Amino acid sequence: MKNVKNVNYWQIDHKIKKIFEAKGVEVLTSKSAWEKHNWARKYFFKKPKEGYFIWIKKQTDLPLLTCISIATKNTEQELQNLLILEKNLNINLQGTCNAQKRNLSCGHKAQGKIILKESSTLKYEHIHSWGQKDIVEPNYEFLLEKNSKLDYTFKAFFTPKKLKINTQLFLFEGASCNLKILANCIQTETEIEDTLRLVQKGAKGQIKLRLVGRKNSRISAHSQIVAEAESKGHLDCQGLLIDKNSTISLIPELICQSKDAQITHEASIGKISEEELNYLRQRGLSEEEAINLIVTGFLELGE
Amino acid sequence: MLLEVKNLKVKGNGKEILKGVDLKINSGEVQAFLGPNASGKSTLVQVILGNPKYKVIKGKIFFAGKEITKLLPEKRVKLGLALAWQTPPAVKGVKLSQLLEKISQRKDLQFEEGKGLLERETNVDFSGGEKKISELLQILALKPKLVIFDEIDSGLDLKKLEKVSKIIKKELVAKGVSVLLITHSGAILQFLKPKITNVMVDGRVICKEKDFRKVLKTIKKYGYEKCKKCKLLAN
Repeated sequence: MKNVKNVNYWQIDHKIKKIFEAKGVEVLTSKSAWEKHNWARKYFFKKPKEGYFIWIKKQTDLPLLTCISIATKNTEQELQNLLILEKNLNINLQGTCNAQKRNLSCGHKAQGKIILKESSTLKYEHIHSWGQKDIVEPNYEFLLEKNSKLDYTFKAFFTPKKLKINTQLFLFEGASCNLKILANCIQTETEIEDTLRLVQKGAKGQIKLRLVGRKNSRISAHSQIVAEAESKGHLDCQGLLIDKNSTISLIPELICQSKDAQITHEASIGKISEEELNYLRQRGLSEEEAINLIVTGFLELGE
Repeated sequence: MLLEVKNLKVKGNGKEILKGVDLKINSGEVQAFLGPNASGKSTLVQVILGNPKYKVIKGKIFFAGKEITKLLPEKRVKLGLALAWQTPPAVKGVKLSQLLEKISQRKDLQFEEGKGLLERETNVDFSGGEKKISELLQILALKPKLVIFDEIDSGLDLKKLEKVSKIIKKELVAKGVSVLLITHSGAILQFLKPKITNVMVDGRVICKEKDFRKVLKTIKKYGYEKCKKCKLLAN
């Protein structure tokens, strides 16, 4: 964790390393929040054991930072995270979840709920970095109240053995969101399920997936937009297959329950162009360096 | 001798494209390669740079005293070979500045002309002229000993061509870097005055001439057909 000084919530294995409350921001463990705030209980899936509770009540201009790490072999985290953003606030959040070594054989399960109150804006960058034997399951639900805005990017550039991402978004009147999932999957079994529900009039959202399959990876992504009212949605799924032994399966699904809704999708899976690869090698890059650069560019385009 | 190509025969897509090509370039020398479309010029330079798409069925390539016929492209570049592509492919999502940072062999690269391109994705929506500048910039970053320019004069008006030629003269020729100009039109030759002009037709070098004006004049007047019938055929 580079910005340890400013981190708001820092957990290693099951221990809290640091909690820092900026002005107008309440930060607790979710276990303490369960005890302290009765009203918050309804947002938890069950009584939490670990994880964070962040309640942003006032505008803070510094970005909020969370870091949940694993440092000990065979650690199994089971987190429940809750973030509540009050009305009219505009917040940047960077969340990091990682293993400190590549060989820890650990597990990281997270049930998260993020609530954006009326006219609030959240820019959330969620970065995952794991070892080759880890099993990781981030399961997040976002509730976007009237006219709120979410820009959420999930990045996994060092992927675990198994990665199961479940993301649910509920957009109410006039709310908008931009969900991006960028994953460079190396020897990984990846399962992605995401649903964007356009619940009320004027909701607007986009899902963008950029998935790279390398070294015996299996990727399956099922992305869904459900339009329940007059609303707009777009689904953009792209896969890049690097080697013969990987597979990518993209299943975009549109469900329209309102005649006034407009939802669209595009999906494609491609390979690296031989010409581009040869061009970069003729600039002195090895084959692997050239592939890495092309992959970086592909993922960069998703941002 | 910096580059020597000996009796090179090459196949691509099962078809013989180069049918026994010989070429010698000394350090600091400027040479040109003229030829009609599909005569094998671009294939020759791709093979010199090691494009795996083509199969060398006979002959050898030497560079800086080392045989490089089977060497990987990136290793040839490390030895000092460089090619400026005629139509470079787009590298989506990668800014030119990022690419330069990855490939650069020098820290002192100053190049006013390319500044506006640095923050753009490499070759994405570049105009013809911008592509040439981008190629030049990358080539200079590689600190090469021999640069091959594949149709650097195509799609450039006379003014831009003069500008590009000045850069090549100042940054490469004046510093003792060898230059091989592959050209269909020959427009650039008046600015860079090659020591030897090779003519390639149908996968063979059929003429090596010291006076590029003479070659250009003949081709302009009679086309490459006249070259084929010329009594001074090199082969």
